[in-house]
Amino acid sequence: MRPLAGIRALELAEIWAGPFCGSLLGDMGAEVVKVESVQRIARGPIRPRPGSPGYPDGEPGERPWNRVANFNAINRNKMAVTLDLTRPEGVDVFLDLVAASDVVVCNYSFGVMEKFGLGYDALRQAKPDVIVVFMPGYGNTGPYKGVRSMGMSIDAISGHSALRGYQDLDLSRLSPVHHPDAVGGVTAAFAICTAIHQRLRSGKSQFIDISQSEAFIPHLGEAFLEYELTGNTRQRRGNRHPAMAPHGAYPCEGEDAWVAIAVRTDSEWRALCEAIGDPRLTDDRFATLEGRLRRHDEIDDALGRWTSQHDRQRVTELVQARGIPAGPVLDCCAGTYDDPHLQERDYFKTIDHPDAGTYLLSGPIWQLHSESEPRHEPAPGLGQHNDYVLGEVLGITRERLDSLERDNVIGTEPLEGADMGGVRRANRAAGGS
Amino acid sequence: MPAAILEGVRVLELADGVAGPFCAKLLAEYGAEVVKIERPGVDSMSERQWAGQRAASPSSAEDAAFFLPLNADKKSVALDLESETGQATFRNLAANSNVVVESLRPGHMGSLGIGYHDLRDRTPGLVMTSVTPFGQTGPYRDYQYTELTVFAMGGGMAREGVPSRHPLMYGGEIAGYFSGTAAAAATVAACVGALMTGQGDWIDISIMECMAGHPHQIGRRAPFAYNGELDTRQETRGLTGGERERYAVGTFRCKDGHMSFLPLGARMWPNIARMIGKPELTQDSRFVNPEDRVTNQAELEAIFQEWLDRHTRSEIFQATQDEGIPGGPVLTPPEIMADEHFIDRRFFRQVAHPDYGTLTYPGQPFKLSDAPEIGATAAPALGEHTEAVLSEVLGMKGAEIAGLRSRGAI
Repeated sequence: MRPLAGIRALELAEIWAGPFCGSLLGDMGAEVVKVESVQRIARGPIRPRPGSPGYPDGEPGERPWNRVANFNAINRNKMAVTLDLTRPEGVDVFLDLVAASDVVVCNYSFGVMEKFGLGYDALRQAKPDVIVVFMPGYGNTGPYKGVRSMGMSIDAISGHSALRGYQDLDLSRLSPVHHPDAVGGVTAAFAICTAIHQRLRSGKSQFIDISQSEAFIPHLGEAFLEYELTGNTRQRRGNRHPAMAPHGAYPCEGEDAWVAIAVRTDSEWRALCEAIGDPRLTDDRFATLEGRLRRHDEIDDALGRWTSQHDRQRVTELVQARGIPAGPVLDCCAGTYDDPHLQERDYFKTIDHPDAGTYLLSGPIWQLHSESEPRHEPAPGLGQHNDYVLGEVLGITRERLDSLERDNVIGTEPLEGADMGGVRRANRAAGGS
Repeated sequence: MPAAILEGVRVLELADGVAGPFCAKLLAEYGAEVVKIERPGVDSMSERQWAGQRAASPSSAEDAAFFLPLNADKKSVALDLESETGQATFRNLAANSNVVVESLRPGHMGSLGIGYHDLRDRTPGLVMTSVTPFGQTGPYRDYQYTELTVFAMGGGMAREGVPSRHPLMYGGEIAGYFSGTAAAAATVAACVGALMTGQGDWIDISIMECMAGHPHQIGRRAPFAYNGELDTRQETRGLTGGERERYAVGTFRCKDGHMSFLPLGARMWPNIARMIGKPELTQDSRFVNPEDRVTNQAELEAIFQEWLDRHTRSEIFQATQDEGIPGGPVLTPPEIMADEHFIDRRFFRQVAHPDYGTLTYPGQPFKLSDAPEIGATAAPALGEHTEAVLSEVLGMKGAEIAGLRSRGAI
């Protein structure tokens, strides 16, 4: 039995942070129900052009919303229902669902749930020991609580953007980053588990206030403490490191192929020199960390000449054989799929999705000794579990379900002209069209 | 006074680096009693933090900057696990604990007679969390690693940076902290299972897999699985055509620093025009249609940059809020600690340390409605709590403890 078996969680979430949290709870055995609506589709465009990227075989197909690669990747191990929460009929059903659940996790912008009449107090009225997570970018209090955020802006405001990037290029060349979404999602899963653990012992409800920014800042703790200890603001380091040299990514045989190498001590450096056999490197000036840091560029050139004669796997083996950290720079596509280590650990699993066909699904981020196999259920289609969740779990009659469907309170296809996510509302808020 | 949420949960930590200690720190921050098991006789923070895996940093502040926040709120017990007495003491402690978090070389715990199976036989509800770079199995299991190499192998590096140059790591021990957070989530989930069924679990966390399973990556792996669509480093700003048109995406220079923007698609173009005080641009023949904006991208960028150059981060941040455009200023630690939002939320906390004085530390990653505020205690000195833990947890008497000490086990 998986550890969260018997826990039911409702997920009201778009993009990455909230859905990632829902999938993690699902990985652990919780019954996760994603609540969407036919009025607002955040999965992707409703009628994308034929040949659009991100669909199986480049074809959006008849139900493109069930075939979006990105959505299907991030929504494993959960069910999906639709409910129009802007209407009282939808809110009523939702509150019945809360009464039958343990957890509500929501990463909508601040205030959206209150507007639906579904703030913490209303949820607790429906279920006195409910655990509720609201996780807007900057939390549920404070001057920025209503500020719209995405991974990139949270990255900037939390201090990470100033620490990323090439030392010699302007920050305007920074790559987009969505890491704070991942941190927010996994932190929410952690928070929910702590509250469930306490509830089992005390019966207590909790409202959990997550600022995705505050979830991330502790991950940069040493930059803050360094300032506190020295008064210096840490500068960008690129791939360099103050206590290890050489330390970087080096070109290998093949197109855009790289290996990462980190030399931690002087003896590792001597061992690396033996492997390379380049007399220019066995020079006293490189013998100490201080010397190597000062002449890092020279070392990079020589090391790169050696690495570029081999493929990245071969360099990794040669360097690791001498006990020195090295590893191929794998991309998130063929690089990781074909990696022998991930394959050996059965990290990927071939699954069938009713609308999207057969493909490899990425695995969970932990393995449990008690589990013969991780849970690998494909992402749900829009409203796919209306009958099970609303009919079987809540006991709503067939007749009533049909009537809710006729009124578009529930459904399995987007309404014509459905909202595609936050854009339209943002325009309205700003007084636009 | 309500109890701390993880009160009553006892955790043994046998970990160095970042991921394992951060996992245990998260548990400590919410009220678990975390006992850090350390090697006797090691005294520098560099050794305690990295277990001799890397040279001490040229500045000792660099090592302290890791150690202090990662180990706040913990107790320290110095125990020689190479000795049989030390191993027996560890087994006794584990029998009185709920969780063991460890980051030793795979198989090493077992060789010391303190592996999962040794401990579980006495304590079926025990949760053991092993946090290692590559997990407990597989061909890379025994590979050496640092943040740089495991981040590269997990797929994080390949798309960070520009196409004409080498790929980049992130700005810190990002894979380590992320995996530590995942480990904390899995650990408490397994504790929930132990409460419900009496059966604990052994959790195998691979830092490489945490990065490979990151939403950023699985979201981009899926189009490849479907169609072979590749994902590589790319220039990141500006404008692309059609329904994917995105203008003003990325990080931009402004009057006093940089600003990050991520408007959501083409429909935000009027908001952007209004934000820069030029709503008339939406009627300008050069920019009316998405295709025009692509053709005349350089002109548009110049107009945008001219506005940015005249405004500060705080002015621009306000303007993004007025228009509902996701955006944020690029801030540094001192700026963040002085920021009104984090002050209002009382996020940062003061921690007093006997050697380092009172410093400002990042605070808790989430807030609870019904839980006490836990005052932070500083990272412990090596072995600071050895006697207290042995007497409180194992009921050992002064003479027994002195015996262990004389044999060098503690």
